[in-house]
Amino acid sequence: MVLGVTSPAGTKPLTARPGSAVALDRVTKQYRGGGGIEEVSLEVAAGEVFGFLGPNGAGKTTTIRLLLDLIRPDTGHISLFGLDVRRDSVAIRRRVGYLPGDLALYDHLTARELLTHFCHLRGGPPWESVQVLVDRFDLDLDRPIRALSKGNRQKVGLVQALMGQPELLILDEPTSGLDPLVQQQVHAAITEAAEEGRTVFLSSHVLSEVGRVAHRVGLIRQGRVIAVKRVDELRDRSLHLVDVQFVDGPEPAALATIPGVGTVQQRGDAVHLEVTGSLDPLVRQLSRYRLRDLSVREPDLEESFLNLYEAGHALT
Amino acid sequence: MRSPDRRPAELHSVFERSFHEERRALLGWAAGLVALAVTMLAMYPTIRGNQQFSQLFESYPKAFRSMFGISDYTSGPGYLRAEVFSLTAPLLLSIFAILWGSDLVAGEEQRMTIDVLMANPISRSRVVLEKCAALVIGTAIAAGSLWLALLVGARAVHLDVGVAELSAAAFASWLVATVFGTIAMAIGAATGRRGVARGIGALVAVTAYLLSSLAEIVRWLQHLRPISPWYHAIGVDPLANGFQPVHLLVLGGIVIVTVLLAVVSFDRRDLGT
Ligand SMILES: Nc1ncnc2c1ncn2[C@@H]1O[C@H](COP(=O)(O)OP(=O)(O)O)[C@@H](O)[C@H]1O
Ligand SMILES: [Mg+2]
Repeated sequence: MVLGVTSPAGTKPLTARPGSAVALDRVTKQYRGGGGIEEVSLEVAAGEVFGFLGPNGAGKTTTIRLLLDLIRPDTGHISLFGLDVRRDSVAIRRRVGYLPGDLALYDHLTARELLTHFCHLRGGPPWESVQVLVDRFDLDLDRPIRALSKGNRQKVGLVQALMGQPELLILDEPTSGLDPLVQQQVHAAITEAAEEGRTVFLSSHVLSEVGRVAHRVGLIRQGRVIAVKRVDELRDRSLHLVDVQFVDGPEPAALATIPGVGTVQQRGDAVHLEVTGSLDPLVRQLSRYRLRDLSVREPDLEESFLNLYEAGHALT
Repeated sequence: MRSPDRRPAELHSVFERSFHEERRALLGWAAGLVALAVTMLAMYPTIRGNQQFSQLFESYPKAFRSMFGISDYTSGPGYLRAEVFSLTAPLLLSIFAILWGSDLVAGEEQRMTIDVLMANPISRSRVVLEKCAALVIGTAIAAGSLWLALLVGARAVHLDVGVAELSAAAFASWLVATVFGTIAMAIGAATGRRGVARGIGALVAVTAYLLSSLAEIVRWLQHLRPISPWYHAIGVDPLANGFQPVHLLVLGGIVIVTVLLAVVSFDRRDLGT
């Protein structure tokens, strides 16, 4: 399957190669005691950055650990590069870099010892190529991992996932708990991998993050994939919450007629608006008035979900 | 925090890393076993040929003597049997092997390092086999330290024991500890639970020991003795009879079957859940 992939803003369009890097076909995995995923079907093209978005407990980690053959599905079929995840497990893992969601490393080793150990287990890559990543993330190699901060451990995890330039990167919430600076470095590494034509499957519970780096986004909630959308499509429908304080303003009702504006509420001396899609028409209108204050925020994940979910229903 | 004088370890395989993780514990256990050997040998000169000891033990009930491996206490082999090989050494080695074996596979799951480990292109079977190799060789190093200390020390205190017989006893102690260590490892590989592996491993070892030692005095248990690994290791008295291939093959067979079960069950499971 070749997908018409659109790259995130700022990068040049990507030519998708034939063949899917990741394919889940009606995969169900139920844990004893409930939880898991149900009838999940997904396909990620080679060269694509796929964002797997969902709140905590939605089933992201479950799906990812199925891809790595750490756990086995009850029903359904999973293949990477067209190979069966169970039968061709070792061959597949030669081509995959994985960052676990609940990252645990060999704490008594130093980062250098861990990374050289993994180089040996992978039969290459040369240390020079690892050193490039180490420098880039500014990693302290000679302290025991147990003495590193959470952010620095995550960097060790990222370096081991990225080293050897695997064809497919599977990253389970790579930026959770990291400070913004490191988050940016992670995003840059993902974008770079994409530019080199590698496939990235990353999970997140932050919509804006996925929107920034991914070409397509799959939404998972309560173990079910409820929508798969291209990012540009998503952006068109995303919801913004806008608060305006006017020095002298129009009747709130007048704002309701602006394209994209949904609910309008007067709250004290501020007007609260919900805007779907582009903010452009609203901003043009607002420029006619004198404002005291203006704030725009993205709604939390749950609200976006509901908005998208309803929009998805309206379309079909 | 920083220790500049420590050379970074170069770990080429899961085997090497497993060994590296255990190196301090292994050193401690080996040192403990050497200390046991030295202590026991140091006391031997006061016992050798001491008629009072002989008479004292002769006066004990026969059942008691056979249960604790006491016969011919004041001779070299008799002394080593009673003080080192009838229980202490194989038991200590077994405890070491069970503690380590229970952690080798299940520990990776409980510490959640199994995810990054299995991100590497190595099969699950290989992980189990390399860890098993580490266990077998580590236990051999511990047993070998004891053997060497006894071999050298026996000369020093003029304790008269055949090299073959002493070697056979140390070898059997290593093998029986390996049996219980691999059982613990297999249960860890089948369940992912270190505590369960430790508990069941210890339970099997103790039950088997009781069976083998009670069988010395309880007539109807006697024909059940061969199901206890302890019987094949120490019940057949290697200090008197030397290497006995049939019994050693039984123990080796148990190890091989256990490892195969570990490989198969680990291969089928959901890991780290
Ligand atoms: N090992 C497990 N045993 C039982 N239930 C689990 C296990 N792992 C996850 N779950 C349950 O499965 C659901 C999905 O979890 P998970 O895949 O970790 O979600 P996410 O990564 O999206 O936060 C949750 O309800 C969680 O409680
Ligand atoms: Mg998760």
